[in-house]
Amino acid sequence: MASSSRLRVLTHSAFYTQEHLARPVQIYRSTSSDPYINLSLEHHLLQNSHPDSTILFIYTNRPCIVIGRNQNPWLEVNLRALRRGLSPEKEKKRRPIALVRRRSGGGTVFHDEGNTNYSVICPPRVFDRDRHAEMVARALGYHTNSSSGKGLGIKRVRVNERHDIVVDIDDSQANGDGGNKEVKTFKISGSAYKLTRTRSLHHGTCLLQSPNLAQVSALLRSPAEGFIKARGVESVRSPIRNVGVAETDFVDAVVAEFKEMYSGAETASGQGEGEGGEVMIVTEKEALAIPSVVAGVRELASPEWIFGQTPQFTFSTRPTEDDPRERPDVSRYNLPDNFQTHLTLRHALIQSATLTGLAHHDFALPDDEDHPDTLLSHALLHTPLHHISDWRTTLRQAAASSELIDGDVNVDVEVEEAGVFLNEMFGVVPVTKGEGGDGDDEEGGSLAFMVVQGVTDGVLGLVGGVSDAVVGVAGVVEAITIL
Amino acid sequence: MASIARCLRAARPTAFSAVARNSTPRAIGARAFSVTAANAIKKYTRDHEWIDLSADKKTGVIGISEYAANQLGDIVYVELPEEKKEVEAGDPIGAVESVKSASDINSPVSGTIIHSNLVLEEKPGTINQVAEDDSHGGGWVAKIEVSEQGLKDFERLLDEAEYKEFTTEQGDH
Repeated sequence: MASSSRLRVLTHSAFYTQEHLARPVQIYRSTSSDPYINLSLEHHLLQNSHPDSTILFIYTNRPCIVIGRNQNPWLEVNLRALRRGLSPEKEKKRRPIALVRRRSGGGTVFHDEGNTNYSVICPPRVFDRDRHAEMVARALGYHTNSSSGKGLGIKRVRVNERHDIVVDIDDSQANGDGGNKEVKTFKISGSAYKLTRTRSLHHGTCLLQSPNLAQVSALLRSPAEGFIKARGVESVRSPIRNVGVAETDFVDAVVAEFKEMYSGAETASGQGEGEGGEVMIVTEKEALAIPSVVAGVRELASPEWIFGQTPQFTFSTRPTEDDPRERPDVSRYNLPDNFQTHLTLRHALIQSATLTGLAHHDFALPDDEDHPDTLLSHALLHTPLHHISDWRTTLRQAAASSELIDGDVNVDVEVEEAGVFLNEMFGVVPVTKGEGGDGDDEEGGSLAFMVVQGVTDGVLGLVGGVSDAVVGVAGVVEAITIL
Repeated sequence: MASIARCLRAARPTAFSAVARNSTPRAIGARAFSVTAANAIKKYTRDHEWIDLSADKKTGVIGISEYAANQLGDIVYVELPEEKKEVEAGDPIGAVESVKSASDINSPVSGTIIHSNLVLEEKPGTINQVAEDDSHGGGWVAKIEVSEQGLKDFERLLDEAEYKEFTTEQGDH
């Protein structure tokens, strides 16, 4: 990771003393690549640093998709593609992608080792949404624009009206007729903010040299997009591009600009040259020695936060008053005639469900309260969407619990195709039993289970040896608890 | 709500910050400000929340000040407090999102949340329109049952005139 000669290693005992967090200017670089740990460390700094201090925190995550605080993962992310992972050209094995909900606002972004994140925590009175995006733009930009004189020389970098950093590129191939050169704008860095009573946090991504950009667009396209209407925040799509600079160069340039802005004041306040201006390396072990970081990881990595925090949304297979869009074609699913689904979810719990066309019988009218479809729908209430591990089972159980199957009334309930359809819509991958397939198979199970597994890879590595032994949800949760 | 209002412009530093909750209001010369009975029980925090205390002082309606709502920009989502939640003065009871920013809403006083304004779930922009309206369809956030401590907290808040002066100072540049 980072390896500037100026960096010095700090022991964790020093790191979380109030004395250190009280310094007027602090710069930290995390060597953890775990997004849950890095975001929790950042939150720790936000909550525990001196209210008048200014902090730069730099971190790089392993592949993950990070959604905004008030976003809907079923709408923003292709969850099945996410659980398939990345397919690097040279390696045969797919790399897992973590799903993360951050505490700040804004839209969905993709991170990997080719993306470096910066975060500035400052007092509210000096906060401005562009202030530190401009700082990073200067670090990337021309030497002449850079107040530290260490800009990386990237041309035509600017902060746009959405507070993102973009780069304008002449598109020479745009028109073969040799006429007007078209300018294309690419996003290289996105911003989001978290404001508390006493502190303001601005964090941003910066795509330096990610090898995975070609896969990002598909990861951020949900199959359920045409069916979901969600409250909360929707992402704005932008073309993205790598800046093409090395991570250490980027980190050095950002640190230089940051110091240019803040270290002077510190010297003036009698702290002495360089005091607090050095980059403190924080290792994963040191981060996890801080109780509030561990608590933060537990919260961020819990399915209740990642999925349960989702603002209310509806899923409907036909146009509704609230969502009159024409619906995508579903003929390839061979769904039962008259099959329709309308679900309302709050905190990812099914609050209302109307499924029709599943039960066949001839003794009740569709509007009857004891119509089998109604009974089946009713049995789905309060089910957490992210705990469903196979919709076919869930529908079958709903039918059974409403005594449609094996009860007094034996109704023919068609759940197979509907279940396959809903699995696909909500990113569920059923566990396949029997022989493993083509060597490229996906781990099955509910989304909650997927998350717990994703956490295993990152956090549990620390416990040393435990992660290999962990099987099943209960085991993992236990292992996290002992950290 | 914190900070937002102070955020958008580089206002000159103010004396309070972290300790706002615990500090006593500054003495203000113009005490002779005449207020109506209704206004007498509406107060503000330096974090830009307001609370309107009921006549029997048992409950209060909480919201975000108009000043803060203007500074925040378009509010696109409001996270409401859970009912029956017990809070102390300064505790976050919800959050709003505007312009990629998640901002906490803090309780001005101690007590128990008894009601959330569900209108805001569907129409978060109501806060931008009628931030200080505590009627049905208004931009209020929650109702709180004020505890004994809550009444003491209330005494320490800014009255309308003090808050106005405070925001004028904030806006200076």
